[in-house]
Amino acid sequence: MPTDTLSPTFAALADPTRRAILARLSDGEASVTELAEPFAMSLPAVSKHLKVLERAGLIARGRQAQWRPARLNADRLKDASDWLGHYRRFWEESFDRLDEYLKEMQAKTNKQGREKPQRKENKNGRSEQ
Amino acid sequence: MAEASSNPEAATREGLYMERVFDAPVDLVWRAWTDPEHAKKWWGPADYTCPFAEIDLRVGGKSKMCMQDADGNKIWSVGTYKEIVPLKRIVTTDSFSDADGNIVPASHYGMEIDLPLEMMLTITFEDLGGGKTKMTLNHVGLGEMESGANEGWSQSFDKLAASLAA
Repeated sequence: MPTDTLSPTFAALADPTRRAILARLSDGEASVTELAEPFAMSLPAVSKHLKVLERAGLIARGRQAQWRPARLNADRLKDASDWLGHYRRFWEESFDRLDEYLKEMQAKTNKQGREKPQRKENKNGRSEQ
Repeated sequence: MAEASSNPEAATREGLYMERVFDAPVDLVWRAWTDPEHAKKWWGPADYTCPFAEIDLRVGGKSKMCMQDADGNKIWSVGTYKEIVPLKRIVTTDSFSDADGNIVPASHYGMEIDLPLEMMLTITFEDLGGGKTKMTLNHVGLGEMESGANEGWSQSFDKLAASLAA
């Protein structure tokens, strides 16, 4: 029942060339030849990247057999963005609380630190075992 | 066609990467993460509390955390420790779970985001001296880890996502 579609999305996004392809597609659809130009890559190599992106649902390909323009699937990209946003918020707010708590803990420790030598003095430096 | 990276640390960054410097010595920050009584004091976003924390701090050991919102709704999560280097590094899996610790998808809690069922968390601790500690956190889906990707992408990805939203 659970569809774990984000993992292939992130695997696809982990490659710099594929991210560059997505950035190019955010300006509009493009053919394999057009996409290959800035990368000095062979067409088969670009096609391979496009297949990974397509499997991950990040792009869609046109139907025409010869000129299959690729275009961005912005919804899928947004899912991935939400994933990051969700956890960024979780951790940022947790760390704010952690920051506060660490201050509290230290305030307590410092207080105990100041009290300790006093106690020792009262017992003439002998501590009970 | 691998991109050269002058920063070896950045070369391993994927997914969500965060860092924070705390005004506290490293042993205290470590304890805040590894002692359940301390963890309960800060775990979860603003407006949440953490009524339950269980931490079995050894490789293969499990953690189970609960966060609760103001209306009393509880969200559980579980992890399995993969690596523990005292005062330096924790690597653990991270998943949503039910109250019994069974892994569940995010949709179990009505979240519409499509998360990987199991994610990997790496937390590092660095003693900066003078009672300060740098902590880093890296949160990735497992698909990413397996891809063997070797370059950080979250910043460029954020920019891309932002340009799409514009």
